[in-house]
Amino acid sequence: MTDEPTIAIRDLHKSYGATPVLRGCSLSVKRGEVVVVCGPSGSGKSTLIKCINGLEGYQSGSIRVEGIEVGAKGTNLPKLRARVGMVFQHFELYPHMSVVDNIALAQVHVLKRGRTAARERARELLTRVGLQDKADAMPADLSGGQQQRVAIARALALDPQAILFDEPTSALDPEMIHEVLQVMTELAASGMTMVVVTHEMGFARRVADRIVFMDAGEIVEDASSDAFFTTPRTQRAAEFLSKILAH
Amino acid sequence: MPDVILKNLPFLLNGLWLTIDLSMWSIVLGTLLGLVAGTVRFVRVPVLDTVALVYIEFIRGTPLLVVLFITYFAFPALFGYHTTAYRAAISGFVLFIGAYLAEDFRSGLRAVRPGLIQAGLATGLTRWQVLRHIILPQAVRRVLPSLFNQYVRLIKFTSVASVIGVTELTGAGLLVNARDFHPVTILATIAIVYLVLCIALSMAGRALYAHFAVRT
Repeated sequence: MTDEPTIAIRDLHKSYGATPVLRGCSLSVKRGEVVVVCGPSGSGKSTLIKCINGLEGYQSGSIRVEGIEVGAKGTNLPKLRARVGMVFQHFELYPHMSVVDNIALAQVHVLKRGRTAARERARELLTRVGLQDKADAMPADLSGGQQQRVAIARALALDPQAILFDEPTSALDPEMIHEVLQVMTELAASGMTMVVVTHEMGFARRVADRIVFMDAGEIVEDASSDAFFTTPRTQRAAEFLSKILAH
Repeated sequence: MPDVILKNLPFLLNGLWLTIDLSMWSIVLGTLLGLVAGTVRFVRVPVLDTVALVYIEFIRGTPLLVVLFITYFAFPALFGYHTTAYRAAISGFVLFIGAYLAEDFRSGLRAVRPGLIQAGLATGLTRWQVLRHIILPQAVRRVLPSLFNQYVRLIKFTSVASVIGVTELTGAGLLVNARDFHPVTILATIAIVYLVLCIALSMAGRALYAHFAVRT
């Protein structure tokens, strides 16, 4: 293994037409690190992490995932995406498939695992997220928290090097947020490299190695979790923290 | 059963069979055509997209009878091949229903949430795999009611084939009437048979889409 970071973003610029969304973001995530990205809505957090697995393009700068340039012409994006899992705000489980098939689909078609092996692996992962008895349920029969845990299992099924979380608890009722954060905390403890966009500051404080604070398309602060919460360096981060921790 | 029907029963049953035969072939092939044309429009395949658009708009702006005349008279003259009334009728129905089904399929494809497409791509599936395993299965389930609506319309459309000399149910009935002249009895019988066919197909459709409904 080299010392190359799992994810290395350098001077990333992106705009929709004339509207800039990312204005020179740089960020590096080492193997096993948990980085929380926070900031006011519209600050470009989700766009930034969707650039990492190529769901969003960018105009200039560079993103390297395990040394491979995401935006390069010859990059095999499907192959790269299989190594970087993603969990979405609205779960996005395939509604026409059972839970176990949701988790097996990409294993079969991307990793070329046999159907039986893929289902077996799906059941193992369901046990890990505490849903072993829901394997044959349809997504519509699950609560939001359960759906999100299935979505995490679906991402894990590809044995990714890192997982990106795009506001994984924002669409959940308060009583379900805990069960999802619990699974994410265990995941972090197991050494998974994670980039998490979230407003859950308690989770950030307990689990994150680093906090990245974004505002208006820029990374304003990139600090250790302790430093960020106790002594934010910028006025904007201090204001954001006082607002979000006040309620 | 009225005498005129009993006396001509084998002939009328033959017509009924032909109606079912025409409908089945047109439904199967028309659905395939509609699926392909609708998907080409949805994916915006270069060139083919325009071909599909022109085809759909042309058919939707042309009466069914004219489409049948085209497949029976115009195409064979234009491209120099021989056809039969039966084959021309099926070709016409396939072209006709395919255009409407293409639009149904396209609207079903467009109704699939973009987030699900992103989720599929994020797991490393290719665009084609996402289309095949995530978008199409949901779209097809969602458009089943519209498909069966078109199928039921098609059963009645097949009566137009009598104009180019296919003795399906309506054609057979008209011939019997021309000889024995019992218009009320004959036409009422035919109407009831179409009704039964359509109700049966509707019920089959309902059972199918209740079974395959996508709950979100």
